[in-house]
Amino acid sequence: MPVYVDISRCIGCRSCEVACQRVHEGWSHVNVHYAGYHAAVPVFCHHCQEATCAKACYTSALYKDGERTAFAVDKCTGCGLCRLACPFGVVWTDKLAHKCDLCSPRETPTCILTCPANALTTDYESASRRARARAAMMVAHGGRR
Amino acid sequence: MSKSLVPSVCPYCAAGCGFYITVEKDKATGIEYMLDHPASEGALCSKGNAALEIIYSEDRLRHPQVRKGEGWAKLSWDEALDLVARRLSRIIEQSGPESVGFLSSSKCTNEENYLVQKMARCLGSPNVDNCARLCHAPTVVGLNMTVGAAAMTNPIPDLANSRCIFIIGSNLAENHPILSRWIHRAKDAGAVVIVADPRLTHTAWLADIFLQIKPGTDVALLNGMAHVVVSEGLTNGEFISKRTRGYSDFAESLRDYAPQKASEITGVPAGDIVRAARAYAISPASSIVYSMGITQHSTGTSNVVAISNLALITGHIGRPGAGIFPLRGQNNVQGACDMGALAEFYPGYRRAEDHETLELFSLAWGTAGLPAGPGLTSTEMMDAALEGKIRALYIVGEDPANSDSHSNRIRDALESLEFLAVQDIFPTATAQLADVVLPAAAWAEKEGTFTSTERRVQWTNRAVSPPGEARSDLEIICSLAAKLGLGQQFTYPDAASVLSEINRLVAAYAGITRERVGSCGLVWPCPHGQHPGTPILHAQGFKFEDGRGYLVPVKYQPAAEEVSWEYPLLLTTGRVAVHHNAGSMTRRSPSLMEREPELFVEINPDDAVKLSIANGDEVTVESARGRTAAKARLTERVKTGVVFMPFHFPGTNLLTTDARDPHAKIPQFNVAACRIARRD
Amino acid sequence: MIKVDPALCIGCLACSNVCPSKNIVRDDTIEKRTISWKKCGEECDLCVEFCPARALTLVAESEETSIVFELVACRICGARYATEPMLRRIEGSLPEALQKDSSGLAWIWICPICRRNIEAERATREMVLGRSRKSP
Repeated sequence: MPVYVDISRCIGCRSCEVACQRVHEGWSHVNVHYAGYHAAVPVFCHHCQEATCAKACYTSALYKDGERTAFAVDKCTGCGLCRLACPFGVVWTDKLAHKCDLCSPRETPTCILTCPANALTTDYESASRRARARAAMMVAHGGRR
Repeated sequence: MSKSLVPSVCPYCAAGCGFYITVEKDKATGIEYMLDHPASEGALCSKGNAALEIIYSEDRLRHPQVRKGEGWAKLSWDEALDLVARRLSRIIEQSGPESVGFLSSSKCTNEENYLVQKMARCLGSPNVDNCARLCHAPTVVGLNMTVGAAAMTNPIPDLANSRCIFIIGSNLAENHPILSRWIHRAKDAGAVVIVADPRLTHTAWLADIFLQIKPGTDVALLNGMAHVVVSEGLTNGEFISKRTRGYSDFAESLRDYAPQKASEITGVPAGDIVRAARAYAISPASSIVYSMGITQHSTGTSNVVAISNLALITGHIGRPGAGIFPLRGQNNVQGACDMGALAEFYPGYRRAEDHETLELFSLAWGTAGLPAGPGLTSTEMMDAALEGKIRALYIVGEDPANSDSHSNRIRDALESLEFLAVQDIFPTATAQLADVVLPAAAWAEKEGTFTSTERRVQWTNRAVSPPGEARSDLEIICSLAAKLGLGQQFTYPDAASVLSEINRLVAAYAGITRERVGSCGLVWPCPHGQHPGTPILHAQGFKFEDGRGYLVPVKYQPAAEEVSWEYPLLLTTGRVAVHHNAGSMTRRSPSLMEREPELFVEINPDDAVKLSIANGDEVTVESARGRTAAKARLTERVKTGVVFMPFHFPGTNLLTTDARDPHAKIPQFNVAACRIARRD
Repeated sequence: MIKVDPALCIGCLACSNVCPSKNIVRDDTIEKRTISWKKCGEECDLCVEFCPARALTLVAESEETSIVFELVACRICGARYATEPMLRRIEGSLPEALQKDSSGLAWIWICPICRRNIEAERATREMVLGRSRKSP
């Protein structure tokens, strides 16, 4: 289960990036993108059901662990195939690969705890409910808001 | 290996977020979030997350040092303090205590601020101030005058109870990020958000109505909105008649501010002004949130009063979801002001010119000859330095060489001093100009209380030892005071003992004792030891004789500097999310610098194309006071004719004007005329 | 000595990463990647074991070889980001269902930075539309 973003709440403050970097010894697995000057959204691992990065990994360093796409660093050869296999560009390789690991073994990902705007969650139900409510409001207001 | 979690209060902004510092073997190794913190619920912005990078920066000052030729010579603490005491005493002897000035630090604890102003005044100098002068001085002056208290009237989480949130001159999404979680909750419940700003900032993303206002025209906008409220009968008649005075004069003064007229001045469509005014007035509970976009003008005090007027005629004050929210900047600027580190106030906002004030503190401090104020404000101290009237300055934790406007003039002022002593954690630009530099402990290396913008007084703990020979500001001030012959009045074994003295002398802090301030702090006023604190101000009336607040007519006056054919672009300044103020801390944090590494100027593409400037070009920005290099960022978030620069990097303040608000003495940081050319 | 089958080598980073003795050298310029296999004392067979394409073997005698790969240019921004055999291998590793996906495999020929940008733009499209509309 990936981290869901309520894009209407993202204020583009980059706290998630800095926090992720802090707990992962200098590597941030989140990248905040700015859509012009109108919006921002953090982009990170979707923990895809059909994880293409795991399919490309020939040592099984990347693998599915339930809903999570997990990474066993000791099996990584740093080949760089996973970086090219991710359709969203959120797997990085330096000497070794790294990507969002949902901060396991911690219970809650750090980005979710730190987000000042409360825009991140792993709770799919509440995230989708809010998104649909907002979409309904936008439709009613003729696309504004 | 034992790991301890030390509760701490963030050293950056005044939101006052708490978090735990993980300490192992006297080293700060990480941060854990404080999920039960009342304002932040554990959240922490990018600056807070990077806070530990300050502690171990290579640049930390470790030893007292004295200027020697082109460089510095190390001194022992004894030698350094002796030297400072000697130089200050001699100057005081020769030209009187009015010839020395003290700048206290809004990053230091309440206890330390209390001691700095106490020391200054015990020496006979009325000249003590802090950087609120550059920030919310108009709030201190304006709101004290209209509603009797200069502070945010409601707690931060209370924004979730508002049904209309009017944000003017504040980019809280970048500078007080945790406020946005409460605004989002208000929006989920149907609240309307209005944002007024010259730029389409990240905060404007929250807006239902966005008023893109010309810099410096806030009084016209606010009076225009008040005009709509009065002429359409949307005033709160009961509130006006029971809790205010001056309504008829005020209503009369709005004649010239019909929406059409206000629109001509501000550049905001009249229809939007009307809609915003109606929404604000009609909603059952409305809040006005404001910050530097309102205060840092030559009309700053008028701007604040105009806000207060709007809240008073609609009765949106003194209850849940309804209030005035000045967002303070530094982690303890509210506290520094509460502790009287201000030219016009003694602790507890007792006026410095009042006889009773001097009597009270003479008795409490066991000293005669306390100076009557008001003393020189920090901006006036710079003037006085250039005139030779101030011969020495003692600056704690502030960087006027970068933070004040018109940097060249400030530099001249500091260099003209006979003696300058700086007490800080980093070798800032100001420290580089000093005669003596004293190394101070950072926030995590000492203990004491900070007061956040919502008046929450919180205790922060010492997590690790300071580097080298650095000492807490409390220790330094007490040692210096002893060398100056004030040892008797400055014997404090620890911060808690200073807090007890504060409990006795500052009525609002009377019940905020060390034992009670506990884990989530207390909100002042807290007048006695069983009082739970006061989240919402003015619920029972304003702090005046009859409980009535003042409606004060204010006229729109154009900003002190306008564009000309020579300087055709209007420069406004501000901040970005990953940096803080003059940048002495954030520019030394690698994870923040990699995200915003350099000074930039935002230009509208239509303006840029006329100047042959492309995105990313190196340009020179020049005003009547100086020039600086910057990287061009083309964006439509600013209107044509307006450009924006953050002041986190040295250079921006070379351009800003030192025209000031006559009441609060704050410089006009937010309007300057400039020109831009490509550097080839 | 290391023997390379140039028909199999995909130009990835594995062997140059895992060799403990720096006998395999990878040099990336803006446009090309050159991998050179130098004299090797055969102390281990990590490169053989960890080559994803099984292109390496250890033999008694061999010449020092190197292979040069043209780095493929991103279809959007032109940045060179991968070797062609690596990208072909990714294509082949996708499950059949994805290979026949309506959105196609065009994303493979775009660099990771552009992929992130596209994803971000897709995610924020409605938000930008809503926020940039003028007031009614």
